[in-house]
Parts: sequence; C-alpha cells; structure tokens
Amino acid sequence: MRNLMNRIAGLLCILLLPCYLLAQEKTISGKITDGNGVPLPGVSIAVKQTSMGTFTDAEGKFKLTVPSNASIIISFTGFKSQTIKAESLQTDTQLKLEEDFAKLDEVIVTGLATTVKRRNLANAVGTISSKELNGVAPAQTFDAALNGKITGAYINANSGAPGGGISVKLRGVTSIFGNTQPLYVVDGVFMDNTATSAGLNAITAAAAGGNASTQDNPSSRIADLRAEDIVNIEILKGASAAAIYGSRAAAGVIIIATKRGKQGKTKISFSQDLGIIKVRKLLGVRQFTEQTAGSLSSNPATSAALKQQFRDAQAAGKIYDYEKEVYDNTGFTRNSVLSMTGGNEKTSFYFSTAQKKEDGIVNGTGYRNTSLRLNVDHRINDNIKIGISTNYINSSADRGLTGNDNNGVTYSISLSSTPNFIELHPNEFGAYPANPFGASNVLQTIALMRNNENVNRFATGFNVEAILLKGEKSTTKFIGRGGVDFYNLVTTALFPRELQFQAVNKGTSIQGSTKSLNTNYILSLVNTFNPSDKLGLTTSAGITQENGDFNNLLNVATQVAPGQSNVDQGGALSAQQFRNKFQNQGIFIQEEASLNDAVNLTAGVRFDRSTNNGDAAKFYVYPKAGVSVNLTRLGVMDEGFFDNLKLRAAYGQSANFPAFGSKFTTLVASNIAGTQGSIVNIQGGDPNIKPERQTEFEAGIDFSVLKSKLNFELSFYNKNIFDFLLLATVPASSGFSTKFVNAGDLRNRGVELGINAQPIASKNIKWTSSVNFWFNRSKVTKLTIPPVILGSFGTSLGSFQIEEGKSATQIVGTDAPAHPSGLVVLGNQEPRFQMNSFNEVTLFSKLTVRFLVHWKNKGDNVNLTNLLNDFGSTSADYDADANGNGVPDGPERIGGFLGGSARGFVQNSGYLRFREIGLYYTFNKIPGNIIRGIRTGISFNNFITITKYAGYDPEVSNFGTGFSTGVDVDPFPASKRAMFSVTIDF
Amino acid sequence: MKKLINLYTLALLLIAASLATSCKKEYGNLNSPTVEDYLKNASKDQLNGLISGALSGMRNNEGTYLDAVSVVGREIYRFSNADPRFVTELLGSGSTTLNNTGFYITNPWASRYRVVKNCNVLIEAATNSTQISAEEKKGYTGFAKTLKAYELLLNLNLTYTNGIRVEVADPNNLGPILNNTESITAIAALLDAAKTDLAGATISFTLTPGFTGLADAAGLIKFNRALAARVAVYRQQWSAALTALNESFFDLNGSFNTGVYSVFSTGSGDQLNPAFFPQNQAGEVRLAHPLYVTNIEVNDDRIGKATLRTASVSNSGLSSDRDVWVYTSSTAPIPVIRNEELLLIYAEANIQTPNLTAAVTALNKVRNTHNLPDYSGAVTQPALIDEMLKQRRYSLFFEGHRWIDMRRYNRLATLPVDRTGDDVWTAFPIPLTEQ
Repeated sequence: MRNLMNRIAGLLCILLLPCYLLAQEKTISGKITDGNGVPLPGVSIAVKQTSMGTFTDAEGKFKLTVPSNASIIISFTGFKSQTIKAESLQTDTQLKLEEDFAKLDEVIVTGLATTVKRRNLANAVGTISSKELNGVAPAQTFDAALNGKITGAYINANSGAPGGGISVKLRGVTSIFGNTQPLYVVDGVFMDNTATSAGLNAITAAAAGGNASTQDNPSSRIADLRAEDIVNIEILKGASAAAIYGSRAAAGVIIIATKRGKQGKTKISFSQDLGIIKVRKLLGVRQFTEQTAGSLSSNPATSAALKQQFRDAQAAGKIYDYEKEVYDNTGFTRNSVLSMTGGNEKTSFYFSTAQKKEDGIVNGTGYRNTSLRLNVDHRINDNIKIGISTNYINSSADRGLTGNDNNGVTYSISLSSTPNFIELHPNEFGAYPANPFGASNVLQTIALMRNNENVNRFATGFNVEAILLKGEKSTTKFIGRGGVDFYNLVTTALFPRELQFQAVNKGTSIQGSTKSLNTNYILSLVNTFNPSDKLGLTTSAGITQENGDFNNLLNVATQVAPGQSNVDQGGALSAQQFRNKFQNQGIFIQEEASLNDAVNLTAGVRFDRSTNNGDAAKFYVYPKAGVSVNLTRLGVMDEGFFDNLKLRAAYGQSANFPAFGSKFTTLVASNIAGTQGSIVNIQGGDPNIKPERQTEFEAGIDFSVLKSKLNFELSFYNKNIFDFLLLATVPASSGFSTKFVNAGDLRNRGVELGINAQPIASKNIKWTSSVNFWFNRSKVTKLTIPPVILGSFGTSLGSFQIEEGKSATQIVGTDAPAHPSGLVVLGNQEPRFQMNSFNEVTLFSKLTVRFLVHWKNKGDNVNLTNLLNDFGSTSADYDADANGNGVPDGPERIGGFLGGSARGFVQNSGYLRFREIGLYYTFNKIPGNIIRGIRTGISFNNFITITKYAGYDPEVSNFGTGFSTGVDVDPFPASKRAMFSVTIDF
Repeated sequence: MKKLINLYTLALLLIAASLATSCKKEYGNLNSPTVEDYLKNASKDQLNGLISGALSGMRNNEGTYLDAVSVVGREIYRFSNADPRFVTELLGSGSTTLNNTGFYITNPWASRYRVVKNCNVLIEAATNSTQISAEEKKGYTGFAKTLKAYELLLNLNLTYTNGIRVEVADPNNLGPILNNTESITAIAALLDAAKTDLAGATISFTLTPGFTGLADAAGLIKFNRALAARVAVYRQQWSAALTALNESFFDLNGSFNTGVYSVFSTGSGDQLNPAFFPQNQAGEVRLAHPLYVTNIEVNDDRIGKATLRTASVSNSGLSSDRDVWVYTSSTAPIPVIRNEELLLIYAEANIQTPNLTAAVTALNKVRNTHNLPDYSGAVTQPALIDEMLKQRRYSLFFEGHRWIDMRRYNRLATLPVDRTGDDVWTAFPIPLTEQ
C-alpha cells in the first residue's frame, strides 16, 4: 500500500509541472495510399499527446486542423506507422504507408489499461486478425475458429457435435484439477466459459463405470461469440505477460476486441454464406456372412436362427450400413450478416446483426446462432471519451446423443453392437422394432429424442477514458472499464416412453436451467511522462473487481405422460442444484519506461484476494517484469543485415484458484424413512487450501532481414506451477475418501518460432506467408503424495498418471505378457511439436487464395472406440487378419485386452490438416452508385486431413475440456465444410 | 489546474473508498451445509439431521458387507456378470487372494468410517451446542457412541487380526491401527461409555421405524446392551454377556424379531435394500450354498430362506438351484440386532458358564419356533456348542454371522471348499489407503 501512495505522490508532483500548450494552428490535408498507390480508407491521423485526430475517407483522403508545431502520427493496422511534424505537411500531401509484415507497429495491450507497440514488447504475444480468424474458411463456432492459429497452444475439439466444445491449452498443462482454459476478455468484459452438463448421465449412466465424470460433453459457452464481429485477438500465453490479470490468468488470457465505428460515410455491408457439411470419415462396418452371423451366439439353436435371419435379410436385400445411415447425411448451412459502420467526429458506431443456421450430419442435430451487436464510441469533449459495446446472442445447439455410456443408448454405442443384417427401420405403422443386439434402436433414438442447449446471452462493456491533466510532457488519464456478461442456458433432453430403452423409466425429461452473471470493472489512473524525446514513462495504478454468480438447477422426471415434456407430467422427479459465487479484488501498479524507443522496461505488481481461497482476506502478490532491447534502434548494431534486432525477457507470476468449495467439509443429503438426514461428504475439505501458483520466465529474440521481408520471432519459456491441486486419496478411516491437496510442482518448457515473410510483392502478385513452429515439454518436478492415476478408465485401458519426474501428460497402462506386472509408459498426450502455416496469395488485387495448414506431430490418444466395436463384433476389420497369424483381428485385439495389455489403445494421433482453404474474388468497379464492391468466394474447412489415426478424428475428448483430452470413446464424428459466400458493400 | 487536482483527489478517494467498503467477504458454501457450521452452535434440527444421516449412512454398502462375509463364510454364492471377484478372490480360487484394493473391503470399510465420522461430528456438535439441555446432550452423545461402536465392530469383523483404527476424530492425525484384542476392548468400552451417557438422558430426536419400541432412553440402553452382549461373547466374557442380556431387550418368550433394523423406502433421497434380488433372476444372483439344504433338518421352516429356483445357475464351476430369500422385498429391513440372536447368545453364554439346562431351554425355544422338535442330542458342552452353532447358522442365515462364528470357534477349516485350490480366508486385509 505504501508503494501505491509513493507512486501517486510522484504522479501529483509530475502534474504540478508548469504546462503550456499554445500555438498557432494550421490545416493539413492529403491522401494516403499503400505501396502500390491503392487508397487506404480508415487510416488514423492523430496529433501526438492530444485527443485530436481524424480518419481517411473511402478515397484515402483526410483534412485536419492542428497546432502548427504538432507531431502527427499516422497509423493503420497492418502498416508501419509514421510520425511527421505538422510543419512539413502541406495541403494535398501524398503519403504512402509501408506494409508491416512483422506487425512491429501493432499495438498490443500489455497492462489492464496501457498498450505498447509490438516492436517494444518483452513477450511473444500472439495475435489473430479478423482475416485469419474468419476470412479463410469460417468455422461453425468461434472456439473452433481459433484452432491451428495460436502458436504455443494445444487446441483440441472434443467432438464433432454441433455447437462447439474446444479445449485451448496455452503453453502446456497449467493445472490438473483446476481451470485449464484461458480467461476470455471481450472489450473489457470477462466472459464466462463454463461447460454446463445437460444431465444426460441420467440416461447414459456414463459415470457409473471406471470414471466418475458425467462425460456429457456439453459445449463451452465461449462458442456463443460471433467471429464476424471480431477485429483482433491477442493471446497472453502465460504469467509473464498476463500477471496483471492476477488470479485468473494462470491458463493465459485471450483478449478480444470487436469492430468499432469510424468517422466517415456510413458503410453497409451484407454477406451471405451457403454451404454443406459432411462427415469427415467413417470407420466402416463389418460385412457379415452367414457363418459370421451364426458365430454371434455360442448357443447352437440361437446360432442357427441367426444364420437363417442373415439368409432372409440377404434374400430380401435388407443388409444395411447403419453407420452410413446415421452419420453420412449432408447438412445445409446458411449464414447471413448485415453490418453497418459510420460516425462523425464526435460519435461513431458499429452495428451488426447475423443469423447462422446449420444442420448436423446426423438427422435432428444442428446449430443456430442469432446475434445483435452495437458498439458506440462518443467523445463528450476533448478530454473525455466513452465507448459502449452491447451484444445479444441467442444460440441453440441440438447435439444428439453420442459418446460413452453404460446403458447402450447413445447412437455410437448402440451402433457398436448392431450387425448389418437386422432390421431397425419402422414398419408401415411407424413403429420401430426393438434392437435384439442392444439396449436401443439407434434409428428410433434419433427420430424421437431431443438434446438441446439454448442460450440467451447479454454482454455489455463500458469504457471511459478521461484526460485529467495534460501538460506538454505529462498526461494523466483516468481509464475505467467494465461490464456485465449474463446468460440463461436452458438444456432440454427428452426421451419419450416409446424408446426401446425407456421400458423401465417410461419416458424421461431432463430440464436444466442455468443463470450465470459475471461482472467486472477496472478503474485506473495512467500517467504518461516524457521528460525528453528519449525517455517515456507510463505509470498506471488501479483497482479491479470481478464477481461471478452461477446457479444451475437440473430436474430429471421419469414416467412422463405420453407426448409431454414438462417435468410436472412425470411420475417421479429428482432435482439437483449447484451454485457457485465468487468475488475477486485486485490492486495493481505498473510502470513502463521507454528509452530512445529502443530499450523498454516494464514492472508491475498485482495484489489479489478472492472468496475462493482458503483465506478470503489474504492478499496474494503477483509481480511481473519485462525488458526489451532493440539493438538496431539503439545503434549498437548497424542496420546492415538486420533491419531490426530485439532481445527480450519477461517474468511474471499468476495463480489458479482451488476448486469452488474445496475448502469446506460439506454435509450431503442422505434421507431415511422420510426424515431429512445429513452425512459428511466423502470429499474432505481443507481450510488451508492455497491457490496454484505459477511463475513464468520467457526470453526471446526478434529480428527482421531483407528489408523486413523476412521476420523471425523466437521465444523460449519456462513455466513452473507450484502447489498444484490434486484430488488425493486419503485413509478411509478418516471418514473421507478424497481430499484436495496442494500436491506438488509442475514445469512446462517450450520453444516457439514464428517466421513472417513476403516472398513476392509485385504489383500483380502478392504472396505473404507465416510459418510457426512450437513445442512444449512438461514434467512433474515434485509430488508429495503417491502417483495418481486419473483422466481415463483405469490402467487396463490406458490412463494418465501424475508421477514425480515424469511428464504430466504421460499415458501409462498394463502391458502383459511383455510386462507381467506393474505399469508401463505407453505414450504421451503431448505433441512432439506443432507447426502451422498461413498463406495469402493475391493476384491483380482481385483474386485471393488463402489457406491454413496445421501439423501436429505425434501425441497419443487413448482410443477405445475400436475396442467397443470389437466387443460388439461389428468393427470393419473384425474378420481381417493384418498380421497373417490366422487369428482374426477382432478376437485378437480382444484377446490382447483380456490378456492384460493396454498397448493397443494408446495410438499416435498426429495429423497434417488443411484446416482452411479459401478462394475469393473481388469486384470493385460496379456500375451505379449503390454498390461499392462485391466479394465472392468459396471455402473449405477441414477438407484434407492426413493421419494414421484409426478413430473418427484425431481431435477428440470424451471428458470435455479438462486435463484429460484425447480419450476417444465413440464420439460424434468430425465433419468437413464447404461454403460459398458473397459479400456486398453498399 | 486546481480543478484538475480536485478531480485527481476525487479519483484517489474513490479508490480508497472502494477498498475500505469491500472488506473481507465470505460466501460460504452455497450448495450444502458444512461441518464447520454445525460445529459452532448446532440447533436441535441440525443435530437430528446428523442422526438421520448416520442411520442412513449405516446402509451404505451393507449389501457388499453381507455378500463378502456370506461368500467367505460359504453361506451363499454371489454371481455377477459385472464382477468376477465374487467367485475368484473371495473364494480364493486358484492362486487368487484377497486384495487390499478390492471393493469387498474398501467400500464397506469406508462406509463404516463415514458413519463413525458423522457420529464424531454429532458428538462434537452436541457438545458445543448451547441450544440443548445437558440431558438432551447426553442423549445425542450416548446414541452416537452406540452407533460408532457398532460400525467399528462391523469393520473389525472383516479385518479381525489385522485390526482397525479406533481413534479417528482428527482426520489429519489418525490414531494407530490397534490389534484385534485392543480393538474389541475399545469397542466394549465405547458401548459402556454410551450406556453411561444414555442413563438419565432425554431423547429429543425421532428415530426410524427400525427402532420401534426402543426409541426412548430406556429402549436405547436396551439396544446398547444387546450389542454389548454380542461383543461380550466375541470376547468370551460369558457372565458379562449374561449381565448385558439382562439389561437388553432379550426376552426368552418374546418375538424373535424384536430388535433394531436398518429400514428402506422408495422415498426421495432414500435407499432400497441392497441385499434384495427378485427370485429366479439371471445375471446378478445370490444363491444359497448347496450344503444349506443338505444339512438342514426335516421340517425346519428356515428352508424358506433358500427357495427353489426354476433353473439352477452355474458359474466358474459353482452351481446352486436355490435363491437366497431372506430379504423378500426392496424395502425389507435388515436387522442390526434382534431377539433371536439374543436367545442364541443366551444359550451360548450358558453353555460356556456352564449352565447347560438353561442353554437347552433356549435352544429348544429356537427349534420349536422353527417347527423342529426338542433337542435330543447329548447334553454336553461340545455337543451343545455344535447345536448352538447350527441354530445360529440357520436362524441368522445371510445376516452376516456364520463366518465370524466359525472363526471364533476355530472351525473355518470345517467350512466346505467347493473347488480344488479354493481357500477359506480368516481376515480381510486393511485397505491400501490406510498404509
């Protein structure tokens, strides 16, 4: 606290310096173009150290009255900015801006209220532009659109079910039981990204098996966002960059900026996409013969009956491919976006409204998203400006029923035991026959059930910037940011009584209702002080608060009246409620110093406390510091070979909260004979539970050669997580079975290399390319409890094991007879390395080809899909004999499992994927005044994948977005998309 | 300039104010009550909730416990498609042995200690509470100690010579694992302490229908002494057993079924009897060991506890054609202790005292009630012990006694071994997590 006071006293002194800002005025005007003379609309022309400024119009022209001694900063995203003295500017100035491939002039948000140019940055902050996010081959949901685009991230889709569900892990494993997903901040609003279960476990009983997770595979709520509204994304990958976000930044922070209005004529743009979705890959089904049909039963009479059944089916031509029938449908998609921007010198706005509707590859599944956004910026006077962002989203996902279950009811598990010669189609009265080989008839299930997530969401952000004091050398601003994110999620899972598996329950209706309210604000004071041209100091200090309130109510009704879905129509009803509430408070101070625009020093500290911690009153301290030295700018090196050479290093700390409620020993309901009873929970609480603490050190070198046509960014990081949380087994005589403990330390190390290049830049052909390479290695450096098996179904099927001295993501299992006892390391979920490449080729400024290719090298999954198909005697290669030993592959694999080996389930899930390919053509000379331009394009998403992985898709996660991604249990198959789009600018 | 400084001061004040007003905040646990809350100053309703919770928790894994001791004691076969260990490890097939991570020990063990924990919380909460009278306090602690002793006894029945932990109130500082003698002595002492508390206590909590007739302080002392009688015969303290019986609900001429039960219902949040399976089921079955029928006397009505199936069931070289039919519905109660056992404890204590005439009277009471004539064998201590163990076998079938009885009379070797290489175990191992 004393520190803060000193700081503020310092600020006051600075403010008292005499100030003078009186000069004659002059009017400047001109036209700004790119290197090829193409006019650039929307370029910012700002007077240094004032809020005066304007933008260029559609023809690239501007006009502004400025003090005659002013410095003018001309900047535009994607181009190098220029600072020009007003004296040297005339009316009718012609200015050319140089393209900035290395994005050195890109402005990066480094503090809660301050920014710095990339050239001065001490961290490797990743960015995704609107073009990269959504301009190649749009994905269904925002989270899917991130995939393959973040250097240093391991991004994995949970399944192909409509509505999203993606795990994003930045720089390795940051937590095992805590939050592994980054914090999403949209225009200053902290967005909730909870995945809320729809209660499907009541039907599937998936949690009754080897893993207590419900495996309901809900979507993540960040999927609601509209990629079309986003202008830029910044990714703070670890504590060294994100420490100023405090306790919620351990898994990284993804800062999203949406589009804003610009001064000038109102522009209206309408775009329409039409496309199709197909399954990416099918596994195939076993082709039965009379003999193999008979072998499905060991009972001679039943076997003979099966042979007869097969002969009859064959004679009637009723041999089916149910996998094809279920998954190989074509889904139609459409997406319409109408946007408008405009404004005058005081007020500007961006408005968009959009609707997307997509059918899934399974009948009855699909996704719909409708959104409205209005962003308004207003200058109250020369010193105060405000910005408001509002967003309403309605999204609805029909996700079907797939994945693991113990009742044989999901589409995929039902298919796994359904041979091709039985009849599942309805008779002439519409009645479906019962499946004699499984608990459910998959065609009936698809036709009658419903599993829907419907969200209504409002997010509003508020931003105010007020110049409190303005001097020639010192400016002090108040910056306030905050917002509200509220949604209501309704989940509806209906299983009518006609369903084969509803014979006992006679109709089940599961209705969930979730309300989530998140609010946050940051109030800060920022002082910029430039005692001379060579020194710049930016001091910021402030307070933050974040509140969360989550309330989930789930009702399960069984014996529901025919045709009804309301839970009060049920004969039996059970209810569950889960609430979660927190408040975090923070105080931060940050100082940034710039010497000669070449050496940059940053130091900051955040004090944080939270109701989630064991001691809610205790402030935890998270410091950070960074330094970057630009050797070419400093003059240490000649600008010969290197156009730009920068060394940088940064350090920071962050934390991850203990799971909600882990500090309490709770009493759970356990009733008897009509009286309410309370019994201690099997999970013990720990009032001394501490947050997981993270320190990250990052160092790197950035350089540009060949007149900045080739740019390199190389980083190394070392991230340590101390006191990571584990749910440990405790002696049961204590009355508890498990307890959260701060169990040990974990380390992640990795390298990230980014290369930007412009191999060709002629007037008619332009090719820009970026290539990124990265890998991460994790290690459990300390574990105070015995090794813990977790994240899958046990060691006989391959499981993760947290063990001292080993990788956190190792996969272990039994491996008899080679290793008769004990566990063997069978693989590792972590990829050996990943690479991506984004390319854009433009011909004659009209035809543009863009593509994104992503290579994940190695990294293992636990694939149990094939085992289940083997158990159901339906795998496509069941009768094959790949190794020629005379034993069919199906029984051989089952034999391997029964013999005690999990080796076969741990499979390399590396892939090379052309995630996005887009081809666009622009017409910009349209007759008439109404239409200014038309862009058309075709695009392909996930169309080409090269992988040896045997499942539906190498990207899979039966357990959702937590620690253990990559477990494959009959998921919803992944899909590929082809799209035609037209955008018309008015 | 001045105006601006004022603005600045204002902003500073704003920061200071917001920090001052948002002092320490605690939301507590929103989803369920916490032990910490209950320990502060519990209300009567909160304490009663802990009583119901403990009684409810006593039923957790009760089915597993009965299966485990009854399979090891060769009373029943338990066949399960989901778990082969009922016919392998529990019967010691081939080279298999009992495993210290096996569900048959870890699950009942943890469930019993969970109830012990609830009782310890109840004792501490009642002791700290200022909302109840001293007599009411004694009611809560006396009853909690009785339940705790019973739960500890069930675990000691499993682990026997491997012992149990008795001091478990502090989860971070658990007491040592005591040997069998130390453990059962501690259990007896706990029952005595409970009796002391219950004397002069006021019972201000409602018990389940399983306590019908015994739900007041006097009744609970009778329940406590019935358990003490069982513990006394386990300790071979025959006169102590007779003393305890005198203070219990023992009634030579009373109904055999008087006693205390775990009850089940279909109500919300309640449980169904886990030891009930419908007759003639396939897949998941409990079958009477074939010797149950072979060795039963003619006309014994206890044949009704092993009904003939429509088809016999075989699994792994074991076969039986009779279902276990002790609990005949999903809401049938399971006895904690009942008068029929007390009669047999009375007979046993008198055989050992020795007071053989009294013993024969009690044994005949049991025989006659089950449609058998008077005992006609030799009236000698060894012969009567045989007869007493036989009556216990049939009267207490699938109530969890046979294996323990044979063990305490060193007769485990006389239990049938159905397959070559099978073993009859003496004790379950202590769960791995305790080591």
